[in-house]
Amino acid sequence: MSSILTDPTTRPPRSAEPAPGRPEAAAPEAVAAQRRSLVHRVERSARAGVWRSAAVVLFLLLWEIGPQTLITPDTRVFLPPLHVTLGAWVDLVRDGTLQTHLQASLTRSVLGFGIAVVGGITVGLVVSWYATVQSFLTPLLELFRNTAALALLPVFTLLLGIGEVSKVSIVAYAAFFPVLLNTIAGVRTVDPMLIRAARSLGLSQLRVFQKVVLPSAVPTIFTGVRMAGTASILVLIAAEMVGAKAGLGYLIVNSQSSFQIPQMYAGILTVSLLGLAVNLGLVRLERHFSRWRPDATGR
Amino acid sequence: MTAKISLRGVGKQFVVRPSRDQTHAAVLDALRDIDLDIAAGELLTLLGPSGSGKTTLLDLLGGLSTPSSGQVLLDGSPTTGPGLDRGIVFQQYALFPWRTALANVTFGLEQQNLSRAARDLRAREYLELVGLAGFEDRYPHELSGGMKQRVAIARSLAYEPDVLLMDEPFAALDAQTREQLQDELLRIWRTTGATVVFITHSIEEAVYLGQRVAVLTSRPGRIKEVVDIDLPGREGGTDLRSDPAFVAYRHRLWQLLHEEIARARDAGHRRIQPDGTEGAA
Ligand SMILES: Nc1ncnc2c1ncn2[C@@H]1O[C@H](COP(=O)(O)OP(=O)(O)O)[C@@H](O)[C@H]1O
Ligand SMILES: [Mg+2]
Repeated sequence: MSSILTDPTTRPPRSAEPAPGRPEAAAPEAVAAQRRSLVHRVERSARAGVWRSAAVVLFLLLWEIGPQTLITPDTRVFLPPLHVTLGAWVDLVRDGTLQTHLQASLTRSVLGFGIAVVGGITVGLVVSWYATVQSFLTPLLELFRNTAALALLPVFTLLLGIGEVSKVSIVAYAAFFPVLLNTIAGVRTVDPMLIRAARSLGLSQLRVFQKVVLPSAVPTIFTGVRMAGTASILVLIAAEMVGAKAGLGYLIVNSQSSFQIPQMYAGILTVSLLGLAVNLGLVRLERHFSRWRPDATGR
Repeated sequence: MTAKISLRGVGKQFVVRPSRDQTHAAVLDALRDIDLDIAAGELLTLLGPSGSGKTTLLDLLGGLSTPSSGQVLLDGSPTTGPGLDRGIVFQQYALFPWRTALANVTFGLEQQNLSRAARDLRAREYLELVGLAGFEDRYPHELSGGMKQRVAIARSLAYEPDVLLMDEPFAALDAQTREQLQDELLRIWRTTGATVVFITHSIEEAVYLGQRVAVLTSRPGRIKEVVDIDLPGREGGTDLRSDPAFVAYRHRLWQLLHEEIARARDAGHRRIQPDGTEGAA
């Protein structure tokens, strides 16, 4: 932070009016300054990158060295070093097993997530449009939301079996509530001043909803969508661990029970990379839709 | 000549939630017996202490609420809700933060049958009129307070309403920006020929802008007096505010306003400072 304050070359040039200068006259120095600031910036971002990845690198090092030096050989079987896990991972990719499981998981989560997003936004908008419906439903919604989705997993299994429908349903269920509740919250927190302004222009109720309430709720809705993305992967893996014939969750449990420990860790590694990628993508999306908010941090 | 806007015995009451020491809801008299005619093309300022019902009156004019008694006439016929024949500029700008300056100005135009190109063209014209050419693509959070209010004014002017209603639009701005915008408003008013009702709690602003100043009493708001302002032109670049005539008007209005502030204080209202803000009792 302090380097930004003290280093004038990195300060973003953002004045309202472009400074009336003579670019021809100033060119050589400007180019030099630009080059200097570029070197500076690369150096700075490289240093920041090293620092930001240091903890992960240390963790991976510990994972590699720890099992070989710190623990006894018979526990080492349960905690193979990193290179063994990576080896197993490469083997899984080579024979296509990983792709099959990944695809199974992705299909389920994308389907469930999609249903949840469409359903959550639709129901959320309808519920918040009718104030009486909202006050009627909110206690029930709160009850459902605070019931961990995984607690209902047995119910889904009993009613829908262990097939695809059951998996997609529980994912949709878990992802539904963040979207729904954030949609309702987004609609509720619209600035009343803006509604007054729109009404003063003679807009009908429906138009006000479409042109003021909805756009102002979009960032909050997307926060819900991001939370739903995380939730859908979490729940899916758990569901696949309980009863499935394919999917990353199945890969992990199955490897464990058939004592292919490195393969199990390769599965876990894939899950965390998938989660990371999904979250990163959704954060990007959320940022994009919150551009107009000065305080948008994308979190 | 018929008046552009006529208020005939207008009153407005609010039912307020009972406070802790009351058993049932009370009725609050915000405005009572307002009679006022505003001519087409006139710039009238409405001066009153805080809480005297200025915003309530503006809401009635804008069609955002209906009077409890009496009538609000526009071109001789009673108003039915808001419409594009009147534009409102709010103190807090009320710009749509997800829209750029240009898209904010086109907001009202989207209610009309105009092509997108025509809308953009018109919006650009009005942004230029308020001195914001080149800022079309800025989002509100990238603009200063004065610039935001300029965008809000352009938004209200763009659909070319006959009447411009302004609710303390410059109150949140610093003194320099305020004076600058006051002059711009006068210029725009002359250019467009619109009827302007300008609400303020600043005596100086009321005298500087108004052809007439209507002074409201403290709650319930009534028209205490309408003062005609006859001052030389504002264009000269002279310091009109220290002109003896200006100072005399200022003093006259100060007296009128102070009677009301004193009355409100005696009536046990919250203490209201001469500038209209409320201080601790
Ligand atoms: N919707 C409302 N419900 C109840 N009381 C209101 C409402 N709007 C305004 N009032 C009251 O009416 C009085 C006049 O308010 P307002 O018109 O905002 O005054 P001003 O704009 O002159 O400061 C105040 O006492 C205020 O508390
Ligand atoms: Mg007010």
